[in-house]
Amino acid sequence: MAAVPVTCVRLTTSMHNNQIVRKNSTFMIVPMGRIERGFPCLRSSRFQIACAAKPETVTKVCEIVKTQLALSADSEVAPDSKFSALGADSLDTVEIVMTLEEEFGISVEEENSQNITTVQEAADLIEKLVEKKNETA
Amino acid sequence: MFPYSCKLCLKIKIHCVNQRMFCTSSLLSPLQLPSQMETHLWYILPNEVKSESLMKKYVDLLSPIEKEHVCSMRRDELQKNALLARALICSQVSPRSIEFKKNAHGKPEVCWQHSDDWHPPPLHFNLSHTSSLIACGITVGSPIGIDVEEKQRTMKNNILSFARRYFSREEVERLSAISDPEVQRQEVIKLWTLKEAYVKALGTGFAGAPFNTFTIRFGSANPNPNAKDSAMVIVPLENPSLLSTNWRFAQVELAGSHYAAICRENGGISEGAPMKLIVRKTVPLVEEHCVSEIDTVV
Repeated sequence: MAAVPVTCVRLTTSMHNNQIVRKNSTFMIVPMGRIERGFPCLRSSRFQIACAAKPETVTKVCEIVKTQLALSADSEVAPDSKFSALGADSLDTVEIVMTLEEEFGISVEEENSQNITTVQEAADLIEKLVEKKNETA
Repeated sequence: MFPYSCKLCLKIKIHCVNQRMFCTSSLLSPLQLPSQMETHLWYILPNEVKSESLMKKYVDLLSPIEKEHVCSMRRDELQKNALLARALICSQVSPRSIEFKKNAHGKPEVCWQHSDDWHPPPLHFNLSHTSSLIACGITVGSPIGIDVEEKQRTMKNNILSFARRYFSREEVERLSAISDPEVQRQEVIKLWTLKEAYVKALGTGFAGAPFNTFTIRFGSANPNPNAKDSAMVIVPLENPSLLSTNWRFAQVELAGSHYAAICRENGGISEGAPMKLIVRKTVPLVEEHCVSEIDTVV
């Protein structure tokens, strides 16, 4: 079984030849013939999964977090990694927020920033703010 | 080595350097809570606590819920620090009689398990830690917030950009006027600890009092031009009803390596009377070492 580690998969209903078209890399993909058993994340037969944030965003957030916390490039920072579990204190968290603001050109209000506790939450909020910014632009 | 110094005009009394040793097998000492006029600051240096058997004794101090919480930490270092922080508090009060709960904004508070004939004191505490130091401030009757940061901590962002993003304009002006970049960095970190201590004392979370909505001003509260003492006052920029000016601050250095800020409400301290800050270094159940007693002046 060829299993490929993947991050955030956007699956659409257009399936070609029983093969899931993966856009980016993060789930375990089990090849054809075992599809009906192999996807823990599938919720419906339409094979539609919406990921809240683009993988590029998640990756960028991971990079910023690793830099802030002085973690090595190959250290494990997953989307659901809590900043505090990675060793971040309050000053690290606000520095991360500030770097994200500069990187993505957004402004994070304090009541939002205290809800950012994981990489995924940060990425989701970033995309929400970027979308809002593009709407009003 | 004197592991502290005070930057504000505080009257410093280096009081006691006596050590108290505890037999680990003896009963825990009775409650040694602060009086209403005192603030106690305890700290542990985790790197000095290595004994496995001692760590097991700390686990025994905890209630089942707290044990579970500590065990849920995934990284060893974080687990150790969580354990030490709880041991620090539990070793000061009767074992297993307290649990920690969070208030509506996530601030940890002490929850006493008490019987009908015992009314527990209104104990307030606040914890703060870095990877190399765990500190706990304790008061009776007044909310308290503390924050510690390593003195040598570097900022990943530009110092003044950071200050402009998070501090008030008045504070940025004061910091911008500092010409030495190293002193500037130190002052930014110290101001951060003061503001963080204040917001933690308020207990409403980071969003409850965004840092740029208030200024901590170093100025003379005493109109007497001959007064040498200065104090820190909170100047709210908006919502003056939300923020109170009823707070006392102290800033100290711990173990030569950390800045610590302590903020507590005035309650219990009569107008004009000094707040006494007692700093103790400890290895819970083993020893404590009174580092200093400081009389802070309003």
